[in-house]
Amino acid sequence: MPKRTLDRLPLRWTLLDKLEAIARFLWPARLRGATGWLFITPALLLVGVLLIGLGYMIEYSLHELDLSTYRLKDAYTLDNYVFLVEQPVYLRVLLRTLLAATLVTAMTLFLAFPYAYLMVRTPSSALRKFLLVSLFLPFFIGQVVRAYGWLIILGKEGIINTVLLKMGLPALDLIYNYGAVVFGLVQYMLPFAVLLIVPAITAIGEDIELAAESLGANWLRAFWHVVLPMARPGLVGAGVVVFTLSMTDFAMPEILGGGTTDFIASAIYDSFFQLSNSGLGAALSIVLVTLGSILVAIVFRLTGAGTLSIRQ
Amino acid sequence: MKNRQQIKNMQRRTALKATAAAAGALAFPSLLRANDKPKELIVRAWGGAWGEALKAGVADPFTAATGIKVRLDFTEDNEIKPKIWSAVDQGRIPPIHVNWDTSTNATISALRGVTVDLSDLSNLEGLLPLAKPAGLEGYPLVNTYAYVYVCAYRAEAFPDGPPTSWKTLLDPKYKGRIALYDDGIGFNPIAVIAGGGTFEDIPDNMEPGYEFYRQLKANEPLLGEDSDFTTWFQNGEIDMACTISVNARAARQNGIDVQWTVPEEGCKVDTDGLWIPKGLPENEEYWAKEFVNFALSREAQEKWCSLLGLPPVFPGIAPPEDLIGDPSYPTEAEDFARLVSVPSPVLVENQPKWFAKFNEIFQG
Repeated sequence: MPKRTLDRLPLRWTLLDKLEAIARFLWPARLRGATGWLFITPALLLVGVLLIGLGYMIEYSLHELDLSTYRLKDAYTLDNYVFLVEQPVYLRVLLRTLLAATLVTAMTLFLAFPYAYLMVRTPSSALRKFLLVSLFLPFFIGQVVRAYGWLIILGKEGIINTVLLKMGLPALDLIYNYGAVVFGLVQYMLPFAVLLIVPAITAIGEDIELAAESLGANWLRAFWHVVLPMARPGLVGAGVVVFTLSMTDFAMPEILGGGTTDFIASAIYDSFFQLSNSGLGAALSIVLVTLGSILVAIVFRLTGAGTLSIRQ
Repeated sequence: MKNRQQIKNMQRRTALKATAAAAGALAFPSLLRANDKPKELIVRAWGGAWGEALKAGVADPFTAATGIKVRLDFTEDNEIKPKIWSAVDQGRIPPIHVNWDTSTNATISALRGVTVDLSDLSNLEGLLPLAKPAGLEGYPLVNTYAYVYVCAYRAEAFPDGPPTSWKTLLDPKYKGRIALYDDGIGFNPIAVIAGGGTFEDIPDNMEPGYEFYRQLKANEPLLGEDSDFTTWFQNGEIDMACTISVNARAARQNGIDVQWTVPEEGCKVDTDGLWIPKGLPENEEYWAKEFVNFALSREAQEKWCSLLGLPPVFPGIAPPEDLIGDPSYPTEAEDFARLVSVPSPVLVENQPKWFAKFNEIFQG
């Protein structure tokens, strides 16, 4: 090898050597075992901040509002939680929220799975592109704008009712009710679910389906006994995401609900902002977080965390 | 030699001027504050017709007079409240200089001790008694005008004339085509009277009002905010609503078929006001006070309130032509007698309970 080459290494090599030296200085070899922890430190810090916030919320929830000063009293009490239990309206709103979240999750998964399956399996690239664009176009439009769009379409003098009236049919009450909120949420959640299911279906080799069919199963049986079980990680992940997002949603019930189909997030908003009662709002928030966590834990318990490709 | 003497004289004169200026500044700290003008003042406001009226009637003339820009912040009144409270509690500079607020909300902030005393404003003198906040010492806020929660209706839906009673809301003919504010604000006392109670029942016996709400629920009212009412009327989705006259008037001025009336049970009259949060730098607080003071001047009150279509607290200002004789524009004692006024301290103490019950009935 000529001497000149050894003396004068390419600039990139020199730079990389220097960077490596700096890295060795900052992160010596003996710390290599902790490299993984280093990478998850930002995530841990973020979760830590959230936990601190949660701690404050728990603290606030244990103080009652003093109406003469509109500040929380110093004394610790469970009165806010007692108030929530004694007021049947909160239980009704909570049940309404849970029912809606369940319905939205079921409907969204039912619609998202064939959509994702078709998008992955179609041999037509034009159809795949069309499905992708159809998925992402509404995804880029904010939730509030989409909800207002539905007001224009479903309103009492909206497009659908105008057509119905022109056909001599009676106008329908399509908005400002529970159904409209569920419908709006399904439409909003669909792209999330599809995006979470697509990788799961992509991971199932097409040859596995072919193998099932070559062994005598028709497409439906192969789908039911092979594709669906193998896509379970995607379905569970999408279900958990859609359920939790629906359960904590605020905009859709506010805009499409007409004020009489509030979800628990609206009750939290009202407590914090309209009633200026941060203690009550915090108590409601803690109830929501606890309930959501328990439900997700049950799902993982039933399906196993392995469904999300987490090693158990 | 002469030059040296001149220089010495000049230095002496300069020194004397500087000393005099310093002494003046110490003697009149307001002079310093007045000269140290902030680039802008941030005033929280409501949007739509409300914000436009404040801009044209107060903000723009104030800028013309002082050179200080006024930026309107349209954060929801209930949402700015905790932001100001936490800023004051934590010793941070509040996010706004002046809060245009309902008197009830402003009273709550005053009770919490986050408002600056406005008693030294020169334009307070000679204002109507309405300007003085009820149940509070001094002026932790100042009321700027009165407003009425009228019965707004689509004329097309009432061919036989305007509704004469709030009980029309219970008529099945209007099922799903009526609206109230989503917290019952503006209607709670009226519900008591419409439900067979009397003004004296408020606040101790609200049951007639709750019973009225229970019946009203069967007629499926929409519940919303100011902007919703305009949209609903515009889209022909409601026929009748309890809303502030400003919204109804703005809708009519925009060509929407909306009229309003004061039914036999009366309408709730209330006030809005201005207040300044504590914790602003001294010069900014000074100019925020100047802004509030200007808003109370005849010039500002005349234009601002005329645009809103509301009776100002400055006496002797004639109503806009389209509102002469309108029951939603009370000016005389007998006009106010037709309306229902609940003092802010009573509202502050009871509104949370009323809201809880309202929620229980309509969210059930």
